[in-house]
Amino acid sequence: MMENFILEVREVTKRFGGVIAVDRCSIELAPGKIYGLIGPNGSGKTTLFNCITGLEPRDDGEIRYKGACIDGLKPHQVARRGIGRTFQIIRVFPELTALENLLVATWQPLDVVHRRALELLQLVTLERLQNEYAGNLSYGQQRLLEFARVLMTDPELILLDEPAAGVNRTLLNELLQAIRNLCAQGKTIFIVEHDMKVIMDLSEKIFVLDHGEKIAEGPPGAIQTNEQVMEAYFGR
Amino acid sequence: MRRALFAALVAGLGLLALYPMVATGYGIRFMLQLFMWVALAQSWNLISGLTGYVSFGHVAFFGTGAYAAAILITAHGWHWVPASFTGGIAGVVLALIIGYPCLRLKGPYFTIAMLGLNEVMRVLVSYFEGLTGGGLGISLPILYASVEIYYGMGLAAVIVTVVTYLIITSRFGLRLMTIREDEIAAEAMGIDTSRYKLYAFLLSAFIPGVVGGLHARDQGYIEPLSVFPLLTTITMIVMALFGGKGTVWGPVLGAVLLFVFQELVWAQFLYLHQILFGAIIVFVVLLMPRGILGVLQQRYHLPRTI
Repeated sequence: MMENFILEVREVTKRFGGVIAVDRCSIELAPGKIYGLIGPNGSGKTTLFNCITGLEPRDDGEIRYKGACIDGLKPHQVARRGIGRTFQIIRVFPELTALENLLVATWQPLDVVHRRALELLQLVTLERLQNEYAGNLSYGQQRLLEFARVLMTDPELILLDEPAAGVNRTLLNELLQAIRNLCAQGKTIFIVEHDMKVIMDLSEKIFVLDHGEKIAEGPPGAIQTNEQVMEAYFGR
Repeated sequence: MRRALFAALVAGLGLLALYPMVATGYGIRFMLQLFMWVALAQSWNLISGLTGYVSFGHVAFFGTGAYAAAILITAHGWHWVPASFTGGIAGVVLALIIGYPCLRLKGPYFTIAMLGLNEVMRVLVSYFEGLTGGGLGISLPILYASVEIYYGMGLAAVIVTVVTYLIITSRFGLRLMTIREDEIAAEAMGIDTSRYKLYAFLLSAFIPGVVGGLHARDQGYIEPLSVFPLLTTITMIVMALFGGKGTVWGPVLGAVLLFVFQELVWAQFLYLHQILFGAIIVFVVLLMPRGILGVLQQRYHLPRTI
């Protein structure tokens, strides 16, 4: 029986001038699971995220979300379809308060949104700082705020670009638990992360990119012993 | 506290409404022009202060409104009130035409495009002599209506300030600010930034058009150089920046302080005031980019509604 995928990336290629950032990459994500995306610096992970979310138009291939082609959609249209994301370089709204950063993200009535925003701030332990300008928060707090903000839109597929970077150990454990809880609620999570322990612990399946090409995919155990992956990271 | 402030505001507006009864001709003209600058600075604030898209061509809407109203008054015999209102609509139509292509440009490219718009409008009204009088301009029928225009300008200033307050305290306003803060992140949150920018742009073009119409009626004569001067755009920008862009009262404060300052210095030193004005621009950009209220807001955690 054919499996239903929430996201299908088929032979996607993205070039920047003469540089092939993503090279005929194919990835399929089943709903309700946590997937990892790893690779050395410059391997095309963030570019692939950008192609999926409409920030970068792909040059070749096709991207389907819940069976429908989302090629050519603008980023806000992709987001409204149910794909949320965070960024490698934090993109909070610095001159908006932590609470306002969350309030802008949805179209539901304000009282409902307000309650939800406070819950999420509590989840990332920022409720005390709700009226603080986001630009005044520490790096790790901004990353948590960005994570909370993406949850405000209640996306079905969540792309997290290095969510653990700069987050202290105590908060990191809570963040990882929050990610697992999201998965338990039926969300699909796709994570780019350089912290191998985090990605190996969380992911059910990992995709590996090198020079834009997918060189391996499989469960964490298999990826850890894959020679091609070792070579990509440590050289021959 | 809020009630007291509101009561003070209403009392202030009441005094301004009664002012023409006791004012001299100079006093009325002074206040009328002050209202005009408040309205212009606040209109600029709506697009540039909130979305961060710095418009250097906002006087194009002012000039378009002035010409639209002047043509309707002289050629079609319209009363100056509906003619000025139509001037506002002309500003919005121009913003609609120019907004689609220009708002796709980012940063300095948008600024330069808007600068170009102003020049294009000035050349266009010079070229179509049959309609606009070309370089000779348009003389409007003589009318003594300074007091009525005082109320018109005052109303425009109040309306645009109330609209700014309503926008800044709404989620629509917050979304406009997300464009200023990080447009890519705003898009990724599902905000249709193109549409929001266009809405802000249209809103910001209406009042300059109306004020342009009132200005044409007040002056009794307009010509391309008098209603499309770059200095008008620069002045409204400096006023909004000085008071605090992206705030409700910043452009009002900036317009009041700088207009009073300009009037005092101008009366004494004809050329020195331009040098001082330039110095203020440098001072604000380098040392106080948030403006007076922006700095106070950040330092003392004042509400966004100041």
